[in-house]
Amino acid sequence: MRIVIAEDSVLLLDGLSRLLAAEGHQVTGYRTADALVAAMSRPGAEIPDLLVTDVRMPPSHTDEGLRAALHLRSVHPDLPVLVLSQYVEQRYASELLARGASGLGYVLKDRIADVDTFLDAVERVAGGGTVVDPEVVTQVIARSRRTDLDDLTRREREVLALMAEGRSNTAIADRLVVGMAAVEKHVTSILTKLGLPPDADANRRVLAVLRWLDENGARS
Amino acid sequence: MTTSPASSLEATIAPALVVPGALRRAPLAPATASAWAQAATAWVWLLCVSIVTWIAVPLSAGFVLVFGIGLLGLVVCLLAARGFAAAERSRIALQTGAVIPSPEPRRLPARDPESGRRRFWASLGSVLGDARAWAAVAYAVVGALFASLVLTLAAACAGGAIAAVIFAVVGHESSFAANALQAVPWPLVVAGSLLVAVVMVWASALVVQGGTLLQVRLAGALLGPSSAARARARAQAAEQEARVAERDARSARERAVVLTQTRSQAVSAADTERRRIERDLHDGAQQRLVALGVELGVARRAADRDPAAAAAALEHAHGEVKETLAELRDLVRGIHPAVLSDRGLDAALSALAARSPVPVQVEADDGLEAADPAAQAAAYFVVAEALTNVAKHAEATSVHVHASIVERAEAGAVDGARLRVVVTDDGRGGAEPAPGSGLAGLRGRVAALDGSFDLTSPPGAGTRLTVEVPCAS
Repeated sequence: MRIVIAEDSVLLLDGLSRLLAAEGHQVTGYRTADALVAAMSRPGAEIPDLLVTDVRMPPSHTDEGLRAALHLRSVHPDLPVLVLSQYVEQRYASELLARGASGLGYVLKDRIADVDTFLDAVERVAGGGTVVDPEVVTQVIARSRRTDLDDLTRREREVLALMAEGRSNTAIADRLVVGMAAVEKHVTSILTKLGLPPDADANRRVLAVLRWLDENGARS
Repeated sequence: MTTSPASSLEATIAPALVVPGALRRAPLAPATASAWAQAATAWVWLLCVSIVTWIAVPLSAGFVLVFGIGLLGLVVCLLAARGFAAAERSRIALQTGAVIPSPEPRRLPARDPESGRRRFWASLGSVLGDARAWAAVAYAVVGALFASLVLTLAAACAGGAIAAVIFAVVGHESSFAANALQAVPWPLVVAGSLLVAVVMVWASALVVQGGTLLQVRLAGALLGPSSAARARARAQAAEQEARVAERDARSARERAVVLTQTRSQAVSAADTERRRIERDLHDGAQQRLVALGVELGVARRAADRDPAAAAAALEHAHGEVKETLAELRDLVRGIHPAVLSDRGLDAALSALAARSPVPVQVEADDGLEAADPAAQAAAYFVVAEALTNVAKHAEATSVHVHASIVERAEAGAVDGARLRVVVTDDGRGGAEPAPGSGLAGLRGRVAALDGSFDLTSPPGAGTRLTVEVPCAS
């Protein structure tokens, strides 16, 4: 597939390009958010199958990449976007996921080093899935003051975290090495305990879970 | 001050009157003995002087009517009165320890602008109008009377005591006892006499101590400075004190302003430094490590199907590791150079010089290690930044670095030894510490240590940076 990367570090852009090219993808790289937006906004510009962008880029080194991604998503709502962040910033995740979670990913830059996980995230986001970095989920759960969480068993908490990362029931079953039936039982139990509507779709579920964790619960 | 000089004077001269408990031992107190000596001396000496005064002053005054000869007599009397006053002050100081300050001198008439001499009549007038000399004359008269009174009273008390004792011992033979005290039993008379003797002994001590104190007071009033002069002196002292206080307050205010400024400079310098480190880590080591991870991931995935590609990726990754290490080393050196804490400023400066692309000659004096670590670090970073700037901008062919300890106490600066570094180059000059630049940050750092920062960089004539920081902060 055609992948566009926006990343200011030459080294990383180079590494990513070679990694993705080795997987048989067609890669185009940009070193600033402005260049990315300009290239994508040209009349007749091809819409790629996936946009991978760094949050922090020149000139101000704050959140240019994120704003560019949000802008491009508003123009092309179907464009899958995978955002790479230097550090966990829950606000970034919330802003990204605010308007639908399908085809969206928010992962820590460090995950790229775990090449398999990264390539998995690339595939899932490009395929319309949702990927939320486990670090973000951990942070949200840690910050959540909701006492309902205490009612969950340890296994249910693990399942909840994986749900929040955007995993489907199948993926959760693989990850925890249990059967599908067991996962479905856990999910139903969790949703019941938390009072959330049952929803088999992983993408809508991740939103519901994250919002539930965040709502009235953040300690900040 | 807890005790005023006057009250300590009272305690020395007349302890029986002011010091609690001293009354009990008053007759045997050393103060009583010296008071007796004083009173006796005063009586003899002041009586002599007052007799002379009684004769000389009225006589001179009388002779004023006769050809004015008496005027000369009065002049002599008044000049002598000043001498007498000085002698009497010395006597009092010697015998009682009370120091009476000299009075203000006689106001001399202005000199004649032509001859340079004082006019005769004006001089005469100034002597005759010398109020302090007249006060000394008055003291000679009043003081003598008072001394006589004190000594008479004290002696009378002492004599009374002796008489009472004698009466108690041999009095029953006397006609007074036989007639007047016929009705009283003799032992009661003896007891009464002894009681009277005791009271008289104490009374004499009190009289002689109190009299001496009053004599000193009288001398202070008439032989010391006039009350107007004392008031003037007090006012001057108060004014001086106020001036000093105001100066202190002003310098404290100025110091507060300087401290506020340098503190915010130090904070912003530290902040800038932290941001630089964060940026360096983010753009450098962190990115490199991520890229390294990607590279290793590629190698691992390629290991089976394409060993050649895997080897190339590993080769690449190896290079990355080495570069990351070098970058971290530089970064750490920028935070705090290990060589500075391990080997001292001299070695650290030599290390800086060795890294500089422009030839650097380092001259480090002995004793640099005496400086505070913060001062040494500031000096090190000043030189590091200066050398970086020289390499980047100056187009110089040689640089000279001189580090030394200087002793200096200048106005507005902190006293004591200061660590001075001077960096001189022969480049094109024109350097200035622009806001946000490395030099500006260093200036904040130096200012926070109460140091001085001087940059001389005329265009075309090289640059000379002089920084001084106190060795101890």
